Amino acid sequence: MAVLVLVRSPLLRLRAQLQRCWWRLERGIWPGVLGGQSSPWGPALAVQGPALLPQGINDAGESSAEAPSLLENILWMAAPKKRRTIEVNRCRRRHPNKLIEVKRNIDVCPECGNLKQKHVLCGYCYEKVKAETRLIRMEIRKKEGGPFNAPTVETVVLYEGEKPTEKDEGKRIIERARKRPSWFVQN
Amino acid sequence: SGAAWARGLLSWARPERWLASGSLFPLSCIHTSTSLQKIGKWEKKNRIVYPPQLPGEPRRPAEIYHCRREIKYSNDKMWYLAKLIKGMSIDQALAQLEFSDKKGAKVIKEVLLEAQEMAVRKHNVEFKSNLHIAESLSGRGRYVKRIRCHGKGMFGIMKISRCHYFVKLVEGPPPPPEPPRTGFDQAKEYVQQLRNRTLVHTL
Repeated sequence: MAVLVLVRSPLLRLRAQLQRCWWRLERGIWPGVLGGQSSPWGPALAVQGPALLPQGINDAGESSAEAPSLLENILWMAAPKKRRTIEVNRCRRRHPNKLIEVKRNIDVCPECGNLKQKHVLCGYCYEKVKAETRLIRMEIRKKEGGPFNAPTVETVVLYEGEKPTEKDEGKRIIERARKRPSWFVQN
Repeated sequence: SGAAWARGLLSWARPERWLASGSLFPLSCIHTSTSLQKIGKWEKKNRIVYPPQLPGEPRRPAEIYHCRREIKYSNDKMWYLAKLIKGMSIDQALAQLEFSDKKGAKVIKEVLLEAQEMAVRKHNVEFKSNLHIAESLSGRGRYVKRIRCHGKGMFGIMKISRCHYFVKLVEGPPPPPEPPRTGFDQAKEYVQQLRNRTLVHTL
């Protein structure tokens, strides 16, 4: 019984204070003004919780509370205080971590003599292979004659003067009318 | 005196208007070349002719100046590539630029190859690999302002920036890089400065 009373009274007082604050906000009078105010202790309304208030006061309170919060947010946005001088800018832009690093992984391709990166295929040799592959694919397209005609057997590419061996028994043969390139090793 | 009288007579009639440039009068200095485009200072540097060297003098290394104007790239970004290349041999520079992912790297590579060919053909350079990059600079080109549309009818003004790239190739191997200044060197210089102090305006 005694415990219940102790718990309930601070809640009631809190509710009353909040109501006072809302009313003062509504009227535009803040606690700094003395006098001209009738009975600061208003009747404590018996409401369920401190947040429940009549709708009109709610809307007025929200709208009046929203506008200052927007303005406050704008006031607290980060903005530069002073102009960064060109000396400071240069120190930042020319710092060694911003400069381009000298690459140490460039080698010479042993096949064609062009430059290549160590972990990447030589660009020139790859272009050669791509061109030849494109021509082989054109031959395949001519042989198949349309989409969805790929056979279920393997394909063998034969160049000029080459005959199919015993290993290429059941395979599809693509003829290319040129000498075998040195990099395309025959099995 | 007869010629002077004739010149005086004719100068009253002002024949410059109906005479072709390259006139008869030696006093009138009319420029014969009509060039509305200004030839840049860097391009003119290739035209200087030194007097022939004396037999005892060391051979003056060949210098080749080349540039490309109004490249569609930012000056600040081009500066990083120019800084990368400074002081390298031409082969090393071409290797670095080939594997760089930047847009300006392709442009600078073309400029270097053009300059290399110019050096071999016109500037009496024996070996095309015996060149190094003495100077490489980037300059600001003409900027153009354009409107960039944002949402809600807002717009911003963007500037389309262009740059120039200048390079000077010199014959010979690249100079060895300077050793970094140590604290000891700085201390020595400081002590030397202290020792150089004297009394002025005294006996």
